[in-house]
Amino acid sequence: MKILILFAALLSAAPPSKLAPVDELTYGKTVAARKGKVVLVNFWATWCVPCRKEMPELARMATKLKAKGLELITVSADEPEDEKAALTFLAKAGIAEPAYLKRAKNDDKFIGTIDPKWSGALPALILYDKAGKKVKTWVGETDLKALEAEVKKLL
Amino acid sequence: MITRRAALAAFSSAACAFSADAMLVRGLDGKEISIVPGKDVTVVTFISTQCPISNDYNDRMSALYKDYSSKGVKFFFVNANSTEPADVVAEHSKQAGFPFQVYKDVNVADKLDAQSTPETFVFDRTGKQLYHGYIDDARNPARVQNHALKDAVEAALAGKPVANPNTKAFGCTIKRPRRTS
Repeated sequence: MKILILFAALLSAAPPSKLAPVDELTYGKTVAARKGKVVLVNFWATWCVPCRKEMPELARMATKLKAKGLELITVSADEPEDEKAALTFLAKAGIAEPAYLKRAKNDDKFIGTIDPKWSGALPALILYDKAGKKVKTWVGETDLKALEAEVKKLL
Repeated sequence: MITRRAALAAFSSAACAFSADAMLVRGLDGKEISIVPGKDVTVVTFISTQCPISNDYNDRMSALYKDYSSKGVKFFFVNANSTEPADVVAEHSKQAGFPFQVYKDVNVADKLDAQSTPETFVFDRTGKQLYHGYIDDARNPARVQNHALKDAVEAALAGKPVANPNTKAFGCTIKRPRRTS
């Protein structure tokens, strides 16, 4: 039984094989579909050094708190031609699905939909409560211990 | 009391005490100067030596500078990253072949609430902010649809408003010095 549970856990932590597209029309639905869970959305890119630096720690946090109801969603802001590099990095960092690639039709609208106060600079982390309400936005290098404490308050 | 006109007269000299509202940058030679929009169309752009998005715009920024500085537009390219000291900025400028000076920030990023690199601000001849946001709308020059900075500068020179005065300046975060409260 334990082996089965471990196998299931490994399967659920499988790295993404493809990045699903997300735009200004589908982003809200993507978060809303996870009502009942605390959702942390991480906007990142392969070219973003602080994004790459914090990703393994985010992966550890997501794995540790998954059973308690945390879902980490990653959204890559890479160009479509960099999807393969993004997937390779996610696998190396231990990031599981759901993983998306920003394919906004209009960047201003996309960014404004997520948080009107966000400039679009990376990295950015957006935290939603179990009702799907946005609770907090972090932009730039973030104190991940403080972030984890905020997440735990919502679980 | 020092007037805006007087401040402009002292534009390139050490000028750190004009007023509480003065926007200050520091040349790579260490001298502080004040940015005082109002006489000429003025463009302030925050850039980085390390941010790949900012670096993708190096050629575009150089071209804009060449095209519009000759038309009287004042450009200030400002590095506000605490992680990028003046000697690194100087070396990067040399490597990138910038035709313009790059300044280290003193307080401009805070005054303008700049968050990203690259991020740009355009002021008209009355000193009013006419545009704030991205240089254009795509990292890849082949995908650009909105030449926002160029259009804003053209509008400012023509004394016209900008259709979309605010866009989202995608890129890297500005690494401000850590402050203790």
